[in-house]
Amino acid sequence: MTTTFESLKSGDSIEGPKFAVSRESIRLFCDASLDYNPLHLDDDYMKGNFGKTNFGGIIMHGMSNFGLISRMMTDWAYPRGAVHRRLETRWVKPVRPGDTIQPSGIVKSKQATANSRWVLIDVLVRNQVGEQVAAGEAMVEFPVR
Amino acid sequence: MAQPDAFETDFWKHANLRKVWDDIVPGEPRKTIPYTLTKDAIELYCASVGEDHPLYFDEDYARASLYGGLIAPPSIHILLMFACTPADDWMRSPGTVNAGQSWSYHIPVRPNDVITLEARALDKFIKRERLFVVHDNVFFNQHGAVICSGRGWTIRPA
Repeated sequence: MTTTFESLKSGDSIEGPKFAVSRESIRLFCDASLDYNPLHLDDDYMKGNFGKTNFGGIIMHGMSNFGLISRMMTDWAYPRGAVHRRLETRWVKPVRPGDTIQPSGIVKSKQATANSRWVLIDVLVRNQVGEQVAAGEAMVEFPVR
Repeated sequence: MAQPDAFETDFWKHANLRKVWDDIVPGEPRKTIPYTLTKDAIELYCASVGEDHPLYFDEDYARASLYGGLIAPPSIHILLMFACTPADDWMRSPGTVNAGQSWSYHIPVRPNDVITLEARALDKFIKRERLFVVHDNVFFNQHGAVICSGRGWTIRPA
């Protein structure tokens, strides 16, 4: 354990692993999540318009971003004796096969409550050209033991 | 008991049975089905997002940890959402676009837990000509304990 609640500072950064998105990785996520929405499978369907949006081809599940951020948070929390308690995300930009995405986080604030201690972390996912594709906020508990 | 081999992967197949935005009543419960989460399903989910922590795979490591045994990653609710709902659930409507979600985690899911879901539409609205539905969800284990709860914003197909 290299970080304790006391030593965490606003601005501390967390970096998650890079993830290469391919048709195969999207298909695997379909099988793993049981989300077989044609948005993620059917190129012909994706040539059409969705209201004012045209995606131009299949897109990655938004929840893949969520899963990758979650993985970053738990892998950060476990060795610190902390617990990933909350994640809120919104999708900013579609992710396509061929993209490489990477989640990261920045400690925003920390707070003690009646019975525990909490860290709020701004999280985001960027693609290979640095565009933000997802954004949100995580909350990690540092239990008083 | 719903398991992946019985799962209909063609989301067009029951499309005509699913509620469209107009029919969805905020506050009305969604039909749900209990689901037994297997170790294999956890491992497949882990593979899909690159989860490699030994808490999910290594029984000896997990037993000696704070958790006292194997667990699933918290984001396993991504799978549970589809595993615990029937084929005519409107979350499966082709073209359903996920705009964002928020989840709170209470206790971890473990292999062979029997998961139940209480779910409903909470709200619906129109914004910039797009049809939104907010859904809220609580997952429980076989002991009636809350695993996690969450809310999602979806844009419905027109």
